[in-house]
Amino acid sequence: MSSWLDYTINGLIVGNVYALVAVGLALIFGVSRLINFAQGSIYLVGAYIGWVAVVQLHTPLPLTIIVVAVAAAIVGLIIERFGLRPLQNSVRIAPLLATIGISFVLDQLVMLTFSPNPRALPSQLPDVRFQVGGGTIGPLDLLIAGVGLTSALLLFVFLRYSKLGWAVRAASQDRDAAMQMGVDVNRVNQAVFGIAAALGGVSGMLVGMYYNQIDTAMSLQATLKGVVAEVVGGAGNVPGAVIGSLLLGLVESYGVAVFGTSYRNLFAFLLLVVVLVLRPNGLFASARQAPPEPLTGTFIAPSRPVRIPRWALAVAAAGFAVLPLFPVSFYVLQTLINAWLLGMLALSLTLVAGTIGQVSLGHAALLAIGAYTSALLSLTFNVPVGLAIIGGGLMCAALGTLLISPSFRLRGHYVSIATLAIGEIVSLVILNWESVTRGPIGISGIPPLSLFGTDLISPTSIYWFSFAVMVVLALLQGRLLTSHLGRSFRAIRDDDVAARAYGLSLNRYKSLAFIFGGFAAGISGGIAAHLYSYINHETFNTQQSILALTVVILGGLGNVVGAILGAVALVGLPEVFRIAAEYRILIYGIVLLLLVRFRPQGLLGTM
Amino acid sequence: MSNIDRRTLVKGSLAAMMAGAAFSRAASAQTSEPILLGVSGPLTGPNAQYGTQWKQGFDLALDEIMAAGGINGRKLAYQFEDSQSDPRQSVAIAQKFVSDPRIVMELGDFSSPASMAASPIYQRGGLVQFGFTNSHPDFTKGGDFMWSTSVSQADEQPLLAAYAVKRLGLKKLAVLHLNTDWGRTSRDYFVKAAKEYGAEIAVTEGYIAEERDFRSTLVRVRDANPDGLILISYYSDGALIARQARQVGLKQVMCAASSVYSPKFIELGGEAVEDVHLGTRYFPQDPRPEVKKFIDGFKAKYGGQEPDAFNAYSYDAMNMAAAVVKIGGTDRRAIRDAFAKVKDVSSVIFGQATFDVESRRVKGAMNAELVVRKGQFALWDGKPT
Repeated sequence: MSSWLDYTINGLIVGNVYALVAVGLALIFGVSRLINFAQGSIYLVGAYIGWVAVVQLHTPLPLTIIVVAVAAAIVGLIIERFGLRPLQNSVRIAPLLATIGISFVLDQLVMLTFSPNPRALPSQLPDVRFQVGGGTIGPLDLLIAGVGLTSALLLFVFLRYSKLGWAVRAASQDRDAAMQMGVDVNRVNQAVFGIAAALGGVSGMLVGMYYNQIDTAMSLQATLKGVVAEVVGGAGNVPGAVIGSLLLGLVESYGVAVFGTSYRNLFAFLLLVVVLVLRPNGLFASARQAPPEPLTGTFIAPSRPVRIPRWALAVAAAGFAVLPLFPVSFYVLQTLINAWLLGMLALSLTLVAGTIGQVSLGHAALLAIGAYTSALLSLTFNVPVGLAIIGGGLMCAALGTLLISPSFRLRGHYVSIATLAIGEIVSLVILNWESVTRGPIGISGIPPLSLFGTDLISPTSIYWFSFAVMVVLALLQGRLLTSHLGRSFRAIRDDDVAARAYGLSLNRYKSLAFIFGGFAAGISGGIAAHLYSYINHETFNTQQSILALTVVILGGLGNVVGAILGAVALVGLPEVFRIAAEYRILIYGIVLLLLVRFRPQGLLGTM
Repeated sequence: MSNIDRRTLVKGSLAAMMAGAAFSRAASAQTSEPILLGVSGPLTGPNAQYGTQWKQGFDLALDEIMAAGGINGRKLAYQFEDSQSDPRQSVAIAQKFVSDPRIVMELGDFSSPASMAASPIYQRGGLVQFGFTNSHPDFTKGGDFMWSTSVSQADEQPLLAAYAVKRLGLKKLAVLHLNTDWGRTSRDYFVKAAKEYGAEIAVTEGYIAEERDFRSTLVRVRDANPDGLILISYYSDGALIARQARQVGLKQVMCAASSVYSPKFIELGGEAVEDVHLGTRYFPQDPRPEVKKFIDGFKAKYGGQEPDAFNAYSYDAMNMAAAVVKIGGTDRRAIRDAFAKVKDVSSVIFGQATFDVESRRVKGAMNAELVVRKGQFALWDGKPT
């Protein structure tokens, strides 16, 4: 029985750590309705500034905290002024993409400055331990709890009783109305970003001290857990974020207690999905509260798509089709094969995210389902590879739609968060369901691509195969978009209330979109499995999902040609920047930011 | 990248792109050009630290090789392509290396998904893929162009089990392992060996690489009531587990796999890693001349920094590559055949490395039983902790 006390305490301790990130995220979401994916990067920057202060400058703790808070706040202000403010009148999704780009840039800058080696960040507090239950807690645990609770409380008071706080809340409820009443919305945003960044920086430093370890990979994990905690508590709700974090910590701890360590994150993400489905506004939203997302589809603003004449597309397709006949290196062909595979994934995502408005952040899971199905069909049941890939596509269409169906009742950002969680769940199930997926060992010896009994092993034949499959999928999708079905999809995206009033069944149409999209993604995953010959649970990871979304936004949401163009660009750019060695991801991030800044509707515009 | 100037590299990459499918397999005959090895590994992304460590080991080995006159008078150099340990990028890099006639063999990648996805391309392209950290049991099954000096876990884990069970006398073990292909394979070999030596496995817990909080896992461990903890971890997670184990009040003996062998383990773990036992392939006061040369050279080159396990792997790998190229010349097939011919290459990890032609791996890693004493790795003196 005493173990349960220990599990509870441990859950609260780690929840405490999550709370520090979640509060900053909640604050920013509360005002700008933006999930700030750069919050984890500010946390990272704070940790390294803390390291410089403690290890190089030997500052005492109170001074360290002030230095880190001020420096992180400055970073936050710079992000707000130059990264986000120029985007405030553009599509709602542009700032989201911008924060992803900013986090690339910040993470890379830290990595280049400090090297990716982990560093020790010694705690400056006396090393006394208090016995609680079977374990001990130290002064740092109390300090983290103190900072988390105090900041949540201060923010609560600030938002409720101060004039600037009122302005913040007014701006979050109705930006235009607030501006009409003379609220300087930019100043409000600045204040919020400054505070959130200061908090993020200090939390990175404290967590670094807590584990005596900081490294450049800590940023994405911090963001993921922070987002989960924040949404569980109710996006934009500061005290809710703290309680959500503690709850998340407890669920993880009890999950470990009952099922074992490897199931830990599974429970975190299941909690998120359950909360989203049952209480989409979070556990602590009052029933009367206006839904935090707008009722109609302003998330994806319409824009005029660039019309590319048919003959130009035909010429381009023919050009790519005959490319291998010219003396191009296999390296170029392989890079384009990657682009075609990513293009299929992007077709899938641009349909569900762009055309019907369900912005998915878990699309890599569909690749994984397709890949594992195809690999296992061909290895275990000796199904010919061509059929196995189609099997992967079908399985992905069915299973993917089924898994995502709970999120059909959600809107806007919440769909993204739910799909992010579903993606993580799929990856963790693959890791743990060893009897089928062979767990972490992965599946090796997957037979190469083959068609009608002929192995496709030369890069040229794989190139033609993947290009042909992608073109067929693209043509089908183009046909779909011009049909009655495509118009219904767009109607649901643009105004789901009106669409429902008109008699469209939302769930049925969303399912249809996911079935078609799931098929394309599953095919892509299936081909990849046979191309790589080895896959495991890490082959299709969260970064792939984020990359796919970037492709889709870059190309123009819902835009079939745009998805393919985006895939070629985002596979090609990092390869072109190879010459820059370690700097290439930094350059890639900057290019991404510039694209979002000057072409937020995507290269070819929303369709 | 540091061994050839950037302009040659730029020209080379452009040439490789333009060269087209009609390339010649024969390497360039001009002796002034360096013999070029391709390296595919992470320089950015979540595994970037390991790529950086590889470079340190490579550069040190190359300095020594050059000082000894190079490869029959020619310079040896490498071209490091960043894969982020991502299979999509490692396959593109594989095509790039295969179609670049200057590359005579390839080293890497780091993770199994990235390495093994590229294997079919290297195999079909007839370029050796020399994976020196690839412990996945199926890696060398990719074909006769896949060779590895990674210590087979089938070799290493029984040594660790013997240390824990026979020498330290632990009878009831809790095994914490990274839930990756490496950690999982290692765990299975460890558990098998430990049971053979008569120990009982109380509990095994797999954790994902990004995990930082182990307190609840350690409560499970405590409730299983073991007399020893086995860490199949890398140094950063190993240090975290050790710290948190002491915080939750576990006082059992801890015994770790050689992958924690790094000065960072002590830096990150602090007092909590005091008395942690670990089996390693070499140790600082090792009297073997190759180890002394490696450690002294490393400290001299990198401002007194202590080398760690990954530095040693890459240092050994570059020396092995040089030995192979000395025999095989610059023909890719001759290089593959040379792997079967090299004998007793001086190695930090193996002492003398010779490939087992059947498995295309090296057997018989050295073994040293260390313990952390007063913040230093020291040879275990047989005294209980």
